[in-house]
Amino acid sequence: MIQSLANWILSFDILSGLGYSISWGLSLFVVSALIFVFVAVNAIVLVYIERKVSAFMQVRLGPMRVGKFGMLQTVADALKLLQKEDIIPRMADKVLFIIGPWTILIASVVTFAAIPFSETLLAANMNIGLFYVVSISSIVVLGIVMAGWASNNKWSLYGAMRSAAQIISYEIPVGITLISVVAVVGSLNLQTIVQAQAGVGNLFHWIPIPLPNWFIFHSPFLFLAAFIYLIGATAEINRTPFDIPESESELVAGFMTEYSGLRWALFFLSEYANATLVAFLVAIVFLGGWQSPFADYQGAQVALAIMTLTAGMWTAFVKTKVGRLSIYPLGLSLALTLSAWLFPGFAIWLASPGLFWMIMKAATIIFLLMWFRWTFPRLRVDQLMYVSWKVILPISIMNLMGVAVWMWLTGEIQF
Amino acid sequence: MSYISNITNAVGTLIEGMKVTMGYFVRPREHVTLQYPDEVWPVPSRNIGVGELDAYNTIRSKLTVDMNDCIGCKACERACPVNCIHIDAYKGTPEDNLQITSNGTQVKLLVANFIIDMSECMFCDLCTHPCPEDCITMTPDYQFISNDNLKTDVTPEQRWRDKDLLIYQFSKVSEEERNRRKAEADEAKKAKAALMAAKKAAAEKAAAEKAASEQAATEKAATPEVSEETARAETEAEVIKPSQEVSPAPEEATNPINVTFHEKSSAETETEPAQPDVVTEKPDESEDSTAKESENG
Ligand code: SF4
Ligand code: SF4
Repeated sequence: MIQSLANWILSFDILSGLGYSISWGLSLFVVSALIFVFVAVNAIVLVYIERKVSAFMQVRLGPMRVGKFGMLQTVADALKLLQKEDIIPRMADKVLFIIGPWTILIASVVTFAAIPFSETLLAANMNIGLFYVVSISSIVVLGIVMAGWASNNKWSLYGAMRSAAQIISYEIPVGITLISVVAVVGSLNLQTIVQAQAGVGNLFHWIPIPLPNWFIFHSPFLFLAAFIYLIGATAEINRTPFDIPESESELVAGFMTEYSGLRWALFFLSEYANATLVAFLVAIVFLGGWQSPFADYQGAQVALAIMTLTAGMWTAFVKTKVGRLSIYPLGLSLALTLSAWLFPGFAIWLASPGLFWMIMKAATIIFLLMWFRWTFPRLRVDQLMYVSWKVILPISIMNLMGVAVWMWLTGEIQF
Repeated sequence: MSYISNITNAVGTLIEGMKVTMGYFVRPREHVTLQYPDEVWPVPSRNIGVGELDAYNTIRSKLTVDMNDCIGCKACERACPVNCIHIDAYKGTPEDNLQITSNGTQVKLLVANFIIDMSECMFCDLCTHPCPEDCITMTPDYQFISNDNLKTDVTPEQRWRDKDLLIYQFSKVSEEERNRRKAEADEAKKAKAALMAAKKAAAEKAAAEKAASEQAATEKAATPEVSEETARAETEAEVIKPSQEVSPAPEEATNPINVTFHEKSSAETETEPAQPDVVTEKPDESEDSTAKESENG
């Protein structure tokens, strides 16, 4: 993307005198600014959505007063945070206290460089993209420990220590589940991983249900791996039920306790940037990234797929005793189905835009994370370690072996 | 084996919990949130079991007084256990145009000042029953955030922070009129007190002279001039004492509610020269402190 942008800048007659290196630097700046703006806006939107989701799950209304349905509430909150007094405790380690939140923010923003948002929207097409994302996002723990230590507060230090222990524990199963995907693709390049999931195939290779070739449908092992990755990633980004580093009820927000104003806002920003990153990574690695779920179907097949999907949704709704509301998805599906039958062009449009599908998939995962957060109670520290070392790690190792065996059985690899 | 069953159990219960939250999530219309200033809970119209009048059977909240009916009898003021009602009533004159109440009673007193300090009221309902005209009543209005009572230029927030704003004035007599009446009444009182003091002094002087003459009659050995002089000095000291007590008579200074309420009028109209310094400084300090609090908050 940077190179194409640089070439595009040079293609203008007036700007062609700039030279490639200057134009390249300019595009680099533009792309990084774009990513940062994306992260910031994303956080503001997600905080609003999270409040609304939590409110609906708790039979409340959520923010309602600033703007229509409280839509400007987070904007108002962000402005308030910017105006707040920036307090550095007298006994704090000033240098670390200041660079701590910035470390976290930079580590979580920089990872977006390797994320392919669509076929072309990709800041840096790295051949070690997955490795880069996983390793850079681990730097977050460094910032957390810095912030916790510098605050000179026992709660903050406890939070930071817990965070370090937790992230180190959960890095391993997360890494192993990602390796099981890498074993299938044979590449660490995220764009290659997405492209490997093109087309339509059978569910789990043999079961004759036509589904997209996403890795979550590749084998039962990768299906399980997707969920293990989601659990481990939830722990890595310190979200409930794994939010013991910042548990408000015991640690008074942990490493964030002493922070206020803008620096505190940075923590929040990076928290949501991390959640988005995890969602994008799940979408890329297991859900086919920017590939449309309907890409290789015909118009009629799209209609059929939408019908099946909504029928499933409908039955699910009926079972939860909400028959009244289920009329809406049914009506929507009928409309979509009809238009897909009548206008094959519409089906192709549904299939085309990569960014749309990428964001839809990521939004689904983010909703799943919010659903987790507002449903599950927090784990104890020992339970957290138990889950990591005794449950998730053995399962993920066995999963990795299972994937290898599966590939040998299906003939994807030969010895 | 418990290892596997633990895991399956955990997964099962997690899915169960997620089902519950999703069940609520897809029903956003059923919420318990009350959009407070736009919607309020209906006030329960339960019977509290006293009397037949509707006014007695509602919940007990903000008090109201129908000033057209109040005869200024101060029965409610005496009944209040926390002394939060304060009434100043003066004898009516023809130009006061006093009416007849809805019960048919001729109003004889001009109720110049009728204050209920709602910050002290405990809603015990004891003041409403003694009222002979049934004009002080409880209303079901429990929202004290309103601008239509005493001062119209305050925000609801100020009303909550500033205790003075919960002092409700019901009488419709103007400030000047009230102060004029008060001054008149004070003067009348002072004159009366002076009269009483003079009478008392005269009586005491007569008694002292009588006693002195008796003493002089009984003790003939002592010199009469000296004894008479000392006796006169003693009686004069006794006479001066009560008259000093009477003359300033700042009754409102002992009463905190009247002080806070009257300070504005005294500062504006200058009808009361007695001790304005003490009176005016107090509320200023409280205003400053509230302002500081709001800044900190
Ligand atoms: S309700 Fe009770 S406390 Fe309130 S003014 Fe009446 S008698 Fe006094
Ligand atoms: S008891 Fe009734 S009539 Fe008498 S002063 Fe109180 S409100 Fe007025």
